[in-house]
Amino acid sequence: MRLVIDESRCKGCNLCVLVCPYGIFREGREQNQRGVIVPELDRPERCTNCRLQHLYGRLLCGMCQMICPDQAIAWEEERPYEPHRVEVEF
Amino acid sequence: MSAADWQRIDRLPNIYCAGCGNGSVINCTLAAVEEMGWTRENTVFISGIGCSSRAPGYILTDSLHTTHGRALAFATGVKLANPALNVVVFTGDGDLAAIGGNHFIHACRRNVDMTAICMNNQIYGMTGGQGSPTTPRGAISTTTPYGSAEPVFDLAELAVAAGANHVARWTSYHVKELMAAIATGLQTPGFSLVEVMTQCPTNYGRRNRLRQVSDMIEHLRTHALLVQKRDRLIREGKPIPEGMFVVGELVRRHRPAMGVRA
Ligand SMILES: Cc1ncc(C[n+]2csc(CCOP(=O)(O)OP(=O)(O)O)c2C)c(N)n1
Ligand code: SF4
Ligand code: SF4
Ligand SMILES: [Mg+2]
Repeated sequence: MRLVIDESRCKGCNLCVLVCPYGIFREGREQNQRGVIVPELDRPERCTNCRLQHLYGRLLCGMCQMICPDQAIAWEEERPYEPHRVEVEF
Repeated sequence: MSAADWQRIDRLPNIYCAGCGNGSVINCTLAAVEEMGWTRENTVFISGIGCSSRAPGYILTDSLHTTHGRALAFATGVKLANPALNVVVFTGDGDLAAIGGNHFIHACRRNVDMTAICMNNQIYGMTGGQGSPTTPRGAISTTTPYGSAEPVFDLAELAVAAGANHVARWTSYHVKELMAAIATGLQTPGFSLVEVMTQCPTNYGRRNRLRQVSDMIEHLRTHALLVQKRDRLIREGKPIPEGMFVVGELVRRHRPAMGVRA
C-alpha cells in the first residue's frame, strides 16, 4: 500500500510530523496551489502500514491518521507489481 | 465498515483552524464507535454551540446541533424517548461548564446512558477567545487582558462528584489512549464524561506564548499527570506539581442509570 496526503484537505499543521515513530513526515518547504505547506514524505515505503497492512488484515500503527485533524492521511492500494525500493535499516 | 465510513467527506476540508485539536477528537470518537460495531442508523451525535460543537456536522448520522449549552438536555430527551439509540454528545468547555453547567451536573446526577465528549480548549474558541470557566489563572483572553484571576472548574472531578458512572480525561495528543477511553465510555451503562484537553492555537495559544501548534502539544504532553502517578504522590505524601492536570480513568462504577436499554 502507499501512504498519501490529500492536498485538498491538509492545512499544514505538521502534527503528523510530531507523531510518526519512523520520522516519515518532514516539514514541507513549498506552498501548494492552496497556499498550504504540505509535509513531505521521506521514504514512505518504510511505514508499517504500507508494508504489512495486508499481511495482518488490519491497520497497524496509524498514529498520523488518527491525529490528523483534517482527515488528510490515507493508505492507497497500489497497482500490482509496482516497482519500488525498500531500504532496510539495521 | 471503517472509521472513514462515518465521515461526511463532502464537507471537508473542515472549518477548523490549522492544527486545531477538534479534528483529532472526531477521529478518535469515530474509531471508538466503529469498534463498538454500532451502525449509522442507531447512533445519534448531539452538540451545543462552539467550534467543538460543529463536530456532528462532519459525521454521517442523524444529529442535533442544538442551542448553546443545551446539548445534554436535548440528548436526555432523545435517549429517554428511544433508549434503543446510542447517544454521543460533543461539547466544549464553555458549552458544558459555563452556560450549560446546570444541565451538566444534572445529567451526571440522573446518570443518563450517554457519552459526552468535552473538547476543553480552556477558552471560548468560536467567539474570538473570551475566558471560560476552565481558563487557567493568569491566562490571557479577550475578557481577561491582565490574566484571569478566577479559580477554575475541574470538569472531570465535577462529573465524578455529581455521579457520572464513567469519567476519564486525556488530551488530543494522546490519541490511542483517548480512543480507548471513549470506547470504555460507550460501553459503560449510564453517563460517561470524557474530557479532552485540546489545543486552540488561534484563540488560546496565540495570546499565551504558545503560538505554534507544536508548542501547544508540548504543553499538553508535559502537563498531563497520569492518575496512577498522582495517587502515588499522594500516598508518599509528596506535593503534586503546580499546573498539572490529571489524565486517565477517574471513575468507573455502577450507580443506577436512566435510559439503559432493557
Ligand atoms: C445563548 C447564547 N449565548 C451566547 C452565544 C455565543 N457563543 C457562541 S459559541 C460560544 C462559546 C463556545 O465556547 P466553547 O463551548 O468552549 O466552544 P469552543 O468554540 O471553544 O470549542 C458563545 C459564548 C450563543 N451562541 N448563544
Ligand atoms: S496532520 Fe494532516 S493536516 Fe496536519 S500537516 Fe499532517 S497531513 Fe496535513
Ligand atoms: S478558534 Fe480554536 S477551537 Fe475554534 S477552530 Fe480555531 S483553533 Fe479550533
Ligand atoms: Mg472552548
